[in-house]
Amino acid sequence: MSGANDGAVNGGCHCGGCGKPDDNGQFLNPTPMLDELESGPWPSFITGFKELAERTQKPMLRGVLDQLEYSYNTRMGYWKGGLVTVDGYGAGIITRYSMIKDKIPEAAEFHTMRIQPAPGLHYNTQMLRELCDIWEKHGSGIIALHGQTGDIMLQGIEQDKVQECFDELNQAGWDLGGAGAGMRTGVSCIGPGRCENACYDNLKLHLTALKHFVGQVHRPEWNYKLKFKFSGCPNDCTNSIMRSDLAVVGTWKDAIQIDQDEVRAWIDERGMDALVNNVISRCPTKAITLKDGGIDIAARDCVRCMHCINAMPKALSPGKERGISLLMGGKNTLKVGVNMGSLIIPFMKMETDEDREAFIEQIEEIIDWWDDAGLDHERIGETIERVGLKQFLEGVGIEHDINQVTRPRDNPYFKAKY
Amino acid sequence: MSSQERTWKTIESGPHTYEEALHPVVRKNYGKWKYHEIPKPGVLKHVAESGDAIWTVRAGTQRQDTVDMLRRLCDVADKYCDGFLRFTVRNNVEFLTPNEGNVEPMIAELESMGFPVGGTGMCVSSVSHTQGWLHCDIPATDASGVVKSMMDSLYNEFKDMQMPNKVRLSTSCCAINCGGQADIAVVVKHTRPPRINHDHLVTTCELPKAVARCPVAAIRPTVIDGKKTLMVDEKKCICCGACFGACPAMEINHPEHSKFAIWVGGKNSNARTKPSTMSLVAHNLPNHPPRWPEVTDVVGRILTAYKAGGRPWERVGEWIGRIGWKRFFEETGLTFDENMIDSYRHARTTFNQSAHVRF
Amino acid sequence: MAIEVNGMSYETDENGYLVNLEDWNEDVAVKLAEGEEISMEEGHWDLVKFLRNYYQEYQIAPAVKVLTKAVATEKGMDKKEASEFLYGLFPKGPALQACKIAGLPKPTGCV
Repeated sequence: MSGANDGAVNGGCHCGGCGKPDDNGQFLNPTPMLDELESGPWPSFITGFKELAERTQKPMLRGVLDQLEYSYNTRMGYWKGGLVTVDGYGAGIITRYSMIKDKIPEAAEFHTMRIQPAPGLHYNTQMLRELCDIWEKHGSGIIALHGQTGDIMLQGIEQDKVQECFDELNQAGWDLGGAGAGMRTGVSCIGPGRCENACYDNLKLHLTALKHFVGQVHRPEWNYKLKFKFSGCPNDCTNSIMRSDLAVVGTWKDAIQIDQDEVRAWIDERGMDALVNNVISRCPTKAITLKDGGIDIAARDCVRCMHCINAMPKALSPGKERGISLLMGGKNTLKVGVNMGSLIIPFMKMETDEDREAFIEQIEEIIDWWDDAGLDHERIGETIERVGLKQFLEGVGIEHDINQVTRPRDNPYFKAKY
Repeated sequence: MSSQERTWKTIESGPHTYEEALHPVVRKNYGKWKYHEIPKPGVLKHVAESGDAIWTVRAGTQRQDTVDMLRRLCDVADKYCDGFLRFTVRNNVEFLTPNEGNVEPMIAELESMGFPVGGTGMCVSSVSHTQGWLHCDIPATDASGVVKSMMDSLYNEFKDMQMPNKVRLSTSCCAINCGGQADIAVVVKHTRPPRINHDHLVTTCELPKAVARCPVAAIRPTVIDGKKTLMVDEKKCICCGACFGACPAMEINHPEHSKFAIWVGGKNSNARTKPSTMSLVAHNLPNHPPRWPEVTDVVGRILTAYKAGGRPWERVGEWIGRIGWKRFFEETGLTFDENMIDSYRHARTTFNQSAHVRF
Repeated sequence: MAIEVNGMSYETDENGYLVNLEDWNEDVAVKLAEGEEISMEEGHWDLVKFLRNYYQEYQIAPAVKVLTKAVATEKGMDKKEASEFLYGLFPKGPALQACKIAGLPKPTGCV
């Protein structure tokens, strides 16, 4: 393990968080490994951190850079978890204590505050500047936009400043995100904010649902985490099917809308070869045929995959009878292996407040079932696989539907009522 | 600060509200968009049913941002976009303006600030990635550094739209793979069982919890020096690291033996084919800070072959589906080895249950 | 870090959890509770004893779900009321504060 004792800890100022410049007049200690990440055209997070540290002269930032340099030299991580929260909440702060604070005391504590952004990750500059000001006042000034679950990650604050920082953020309209065995922060694509393919108002449903479950975000008490993601259409730009327990994907029931004039204009511009090779032959169910110089799409063959709409955005658009599909059970590797969400509810309308209320009632049923049937540290997809999809459907009162499976079973091992 | 001094009573508000964060032209045409075009890389034009149009300029960021950088992005948004901006799920920043004349000056300004404009259409977009040594408690590497190194080499692929279809990348610092499924993913693969610190274990770990966390039942209770602790059956252990999350005394990370693996063919969208999970195509690459050249090299080889051989609209997994895995390994120069044959729970679904053979 | 109780010193970690779980006694619990700005009353002791009994039986701290259900059953509350009751006793959450006062190991991990 060469290099384990080299690096930042041998050089520069380590007098216990003095915050004073070193002999050479530099605030920061040498970080030759990290400096290698300052070259090249892509924006450098190291350059950003160093600039922030030099301007604010926060010892914590110097300590974090020193610890990161030490990790780069020794190829090990040095943070351990713990528990820090704000009053009334059991989650939302990711606690980090340094395991090498004897060597690098300035970053002894470096906790993260998860903050729920607006659905669709929309900001106005007033909101964002206010967030930056509060964060610079209490914390390190480092922000990740955004974490893998969709939070604003305010990285680097000490325990005794957390409550005060939260209170100011909360007064400005921000709230903590989820952690632990509870409802997690949701994610939405841009939806009706800009996309012509948005089949429902995912931003509104996201806000409604996460406000409804806000207690379970802050006081986790389920088997394990539960994540919502809201995609406006089956392109699934939030990666909901793989990344969330509850994937809400916009869809439609009727035929794709075709503007035949625009189809012809597309063919005039790109040629018939492109239409055949890149659109018609790429339809997974061969639903598209040539007709009268334009195209015809057989609505009953279409599986709503989005390809032809993506290829011809001016000519084609989703049908008019729009709503959502609910898929459930997506999760990554730990520990049964990757699990894609699978279709549970093929279609629900999602236009009115009543539609949204019905949706949330259904989700509550589902969570109650999981709360009873699930085991500790078991995601809902794992519970469904262990207990059985049929048993799950009965338990939550959802009708069985051929769309829930790719085909009927291929074995006779079941007990039926005769 | 003690709770007695608090004057503020918490409002459990949940997500921030979004309406005030939408540009007035967006608010006016909300849900009434007609179509979009990509006039040039990094620029989108969306047209509403009302005839209104809004231009988007998209730029890559380092994701590990600072208040200074965000204030600079706010300056751009104030100058050109009436004070509105947003981010994408792949860590790009987007500036929306109804004024086409703002597009070129905004691109010039962003580029001069060091933010690459691109990430649209058939390109390599920014990497979805985890935290790593900067902040995680169980990382074997630093995702941000790997990503920076990789994107330096893929800079032009981010700014151009020369790929057969969009390419999504991800990077993860442990086998849990919080970075997610992607066309090409860089994920840590441990190669040695955990090293147990028994003194630490007896004071910090709940033994049944760690035993239950193991997917292959390789962890057993034992007694050492009269104290109840745990042991690992190293023949059974698959080096997944799941126990380390439950018990920090079961150290899975190792500077030499925590390696990198490369996975391909993950796809989240439903377009054409159903969503798909990734397959392992390279492993045992060294964890080599500060720039991880071996990782960047393999990713580059895969992208070069895909760019040359993929047909329009084929994602990486669809391209491999057409040419077959044999040709994939030939064209990328990677080696298929026995560890790439699945041995876990759903292994049979990956076997070739047919007489279809490629020579 | 350490706490002093009845002239004895007991080692704690950064979050104030006992390093050696066998150090726990009721006076230590009162001292740990003081650090959390909690004055121990009957409701607190009930919870702490529940946690300790559970831990002695299973060698793990109960999931919050288990704790909430136990409270709900005993007090005739629904789960939401039980959760609010728990946070009323331990404002920073039963996992953080009640486990600490009961001398149980610190809960781990974020995944």
